[in-house]
Amino acid sequence: MGFFLEKNMLSFFLRIMRQRSGGSSFVCVQLLQTLNILFENIRNETSLYYLLSNNHVNSIIVHKFDFSDEEVMAYYISFLKTLSLKLNVHTIHFFYNEHTNDFPLYTEAIKFFNHPESMVRIAVRTLTLNVYKVEDASMLTFIRDRTAAPYFSNIVWFIGKHIQELDTCVRNDADHQSQNRLADLVAEHLDHLHYLNDIICLNITDLNQVLTDHLLHKLLIPLYIYSLSSVRRQSESTIESATQNLAKVLNRNVNITEYPQQQYEFANGKVSCIVSLFLLSQVFLIISHPPLVHVLAWIILKSDRSMLEKGVDKLLECYEAEIRRESAGDSAQSADVLSTDGSTSSKENLVEEPKNITDEEKERLVTVPNDSWGVADKPFLETIFNALDCTENDYTALFALSLLYAMANNKGVLPELIELVLRPKKSLISSSTSKDVKYSYNHSLVERILHIVILSCQPPCRVRLVTLELTLKLLIQLVMCDGKNILSEAHKASIDSAKSLSTALLRNFYKSEEIFLDMFEHEYCDMSKGSLNVEWLCMDSAILLPPTGTPLTGIDFTKRLPCGEVERARRAIRVFFLVRDTVLTLNGEVETQLPLTNPQTSVQIDQALDLNNSDLIACTVAWKDGKSKRRFLVIDIMQLILVEPDMKKMGWGVAKLVGFLQDIEVTGDQDDSRCLHITIHKPLSNTSANRVPLLSAKFIFDDNIRCMAAKQRLSKTMPLQLLQGPILWTYKEEQILYCQNCINGLLIWVALKSLKT
Amino acid sequence: MSYAYLFKYIIIGDTGVGKSCLLLQFTDKRFQPVHDLTIGVEFGARMITIDGKQIKLQIWDTAGQEAFRSITRSYYRGAAGALLVYDITRRETFNHLTTWLDDARQHSNSNMVIMLIGNKSDLESRREVKKEEGEAFAREHGLVFMETSAKTAANVEEAFINTAKEIYEKIQEGVFDINNEANGIKIGPQHSPTNPSLPGAAGQGGSQGGGCC
Repeated sequence: MGFFLEKNMLSFFLRIMRQRSGGSSFVCVQLLQTLNILFENIRNETSLYYLLSNNHVNSIIVHKFDFSDEEVMAYYISFLKTLSLKLNVHTIHFFYNEHTNDFPLYTEAIKFFNHPESMVRIAVRTLTLNVYKVEDASMLTFIRDRTAAPYFSNIVWFIGKHIQELDTCVRNDADHQSQNRLADLVAEHLDHLHYLNDIICLNITDLNQVLTDHLLHKLLIPLYIYSLSSVRRQSESTIESATQNLAKVLNRNVNITEYPQQQYEFANGKVSCIVSLFLLSQVFLIISHPPLVHVLAWIILKSDRSMLEKGVDKLLECYEAEIRRESAGDSAQSADVLSTDGSTSSKENLVEEPKNITDEEKERLVTVPNDSWGVADKPFLETIFNALDCTENDYTALFALSLLYAMANNKGVLPELIELVLRPKKSLISSSTSKDVKYSYNHSLVERILHIVILSCQPPCRVRLVTLELTLKLLIQLVMCDGKNILSEAHKASIDSAKSLSTALLRNFYKSEEIFLDMFEHEYCDMSKGSLNVEWLCMDSAILLPPTGTPLTGIDFTKRLPCGEVERARRAIRVFFLVRDTVLTLNGEVETQLPLTNPQTSVQIDQALDLNNSDLIACTVAWKDGKSKRRFLVIDIMQLILVEPDMKKMGWGVAKLVGFLQDIEVTGDQDDSRCLHITIHKPLSNTSANRVPLLSAKFIFDDNIRCMAAKQRLSKTMPLQLLQGPILWTYKEEQILYCQNCINGLLIWVALKSLKT
Repeated sequence: MSYAYLFKYIIIGDTGVGKSCLLLQFTDKRFQPVHDLTIGVEFGARMITIDGKQIKLQIWDTAGQEAFRSITRSYYRGAAGALLVYDITRRETFNHLTTWLDDARQHSNSNMVIMLIGNKSDLESRREVKKEEGEAFAREHGLVFMETSAKTAANVEEAFINTAKEIYEKIQEGVFDINNEANGIKIGPQHSPTNPSLPGAAGQGGSQGGGCC
């Protein structure tokens, strides 16, 4: 076929396009589609070079198509994307002209970065990433010098505009009317962050510098972080002057920036504290580029009011000065780490701990409240700490916790910064006699966190389960060091009281819930499926709206308040589990007692059992449909088991049916004293709504004595040691005894059922 | 050309399973390969008719998304339907379905209709994945299943159209918020929801570029 033809074809295409310009979009679509197919299916490098060599492709790219036509737009952008997938160090020169400093593929595409059609926007993003990926120094220089500033500042500006829309949506929707819209706006923000992160992860130093600069100066600090300073509950007197100063400073900054109008808008429009905490959490959960996140974390954790009032630029100068000071004094390490993103292992080696430290020693070493990590004069930190107050509700607390958690777990935030604030600090003290390790942690934060835990364990239930879980997650990180907790005695006492409160809260529901035991087991199973994923939590727009109780909103149970008595019981059960688990973790223990019906310890169907010393009662099981089978009945502490003799081993039996005692209904037979009617239900935790019995049959014993024995065993098999606890309640006539065994704080409930007759 | 609704689709699955060939087969039968030569396309659109309504299907290929998380997320989120494709002659493409599905479920809106496609059904002699296995996977994960051949065009039409029907039903049930374009559904430019019957709705279900060339 030859290349000659193809060459002619491209110029031929161009001619058609130009002749018919303004005319048929239909023809353009056909041409673009054909080109698309052509380029996509080229496997041979040489033919590709040949196709590209005449600059016809660039002429097609810059051709003024009718982009108002949906179809033309879609085919055009797909064509550009296809081309971008063909980019590499060799082909780049066909698109980027070094001499004329021209790169139409890129510059034409980015014109559509904010196109209303989402698929077009995605194509543009894919294209830009494909371009940045090509390792061509001069092309990247072109991108940086000619397009990075306007492109990035446009992105940044649109993100800012976008989150103000989001903020308005949150402010105006106390009634959860626009959940869809909000979900979209949140997802869109995540898209932006992931896109920025994808660019950053390509590790192009020059580009990252420009991007980081734009993000910090024009978006993250002025809009996200400064919005935190608006909520100052205590210091009303200073609010006005501070905000005025701020506005003044920002307005002055405005004049020296490229996009004055845009900057001006941001300065005037802050977003609510809720939105700001939420978005910052997302930033810290997604991006871990040290020059970006470390600065942000530093500003949030360390900057004081005087710095803040001087504006963004001064704030960043303060940060740099601090870094210089630190590196000068601190063997220049932190600065190195910052710029190279290198490992911090050398640093960690400095604080090697001597092992075998006893608890008492540890106790002695833990410092008592230390005020250097209070919030005095740290406006942003103060806002976060104030947001942790759950006295009225946990609306803001959830976001404050997310942000703290996200910062503490971000790999780009250097350990020195969060040590003692969000992580425990460990330091060596060399005394004359020996070396000691000193552990310390952020007392004032832990205090606030414990307050949330205590509140969660009390009846009004204003704290959502998700908030409690996150609180406890953070607590563990704050006070666990070298596998031990370093809590002070006072804080340990708080945790213990939280534990007893949660037990007391739970006790309220033994009585009211008929299926308490099943719920208890079910919730445990459900919770063991996985712990909270904070990144997923912060993708959920539903938490942005004020906490609600009604399930009609479609919000997850853990992310709302309980509705009705059953849900309150479920909540109490979960609070109990969460606190219990935390106490175990703090003590370095593992759960050995839950779930109550451990599948490993309970008998399973087809399991062979050694019955040589067991009480066996022979019986015939007669089903309703007329079938009957000969079986032996075994009743242990928890279960009723029907066995048939094991053919292989003398004295052994094989379990053919098992049921938990609490799932069994027994009635005597009016006419035959040798018979019992037994219904065994499936455990509630295994099934959903319909409770089909596992077995419903007549049990015929050899004589009435054995029948009575079986009756007795079904009602009074409880070993005495389990009956030590108080009998909690009697339900209807059935006399269900729930007994509690308080050894080690473990609760064991055992349901006993006596026969009605 | 006016339409009542526009549905955006994506096609996902391992490389080489024939995603772009399926797309080309559906949108433009004209390009049907005569030889064994496989050619594909990354974007296509076609008009179909469901329930007497003109519906435009826009299929966006997700090529190049693998390397970038932001792109994956956005694609899933912007689509109303997804064809999840594996190659019946390559077992590993079937084994990777769970990963694809997890990704899709994590990023997409919960209403997205996913259809499982076992492609290359014409290569019966080289089959490595039984039809029953595909069916079982689909049943287990609540997907619609079909075996297709982009080469012979068997079932290709049905795969795209059945997916559209399911989306259409969801719209009728009010599950999809059609005013929200982020769901991958757009209401046609001239279409008002109160006027269900469009002029010329019947008999235009064919390839839209049919008259050209």
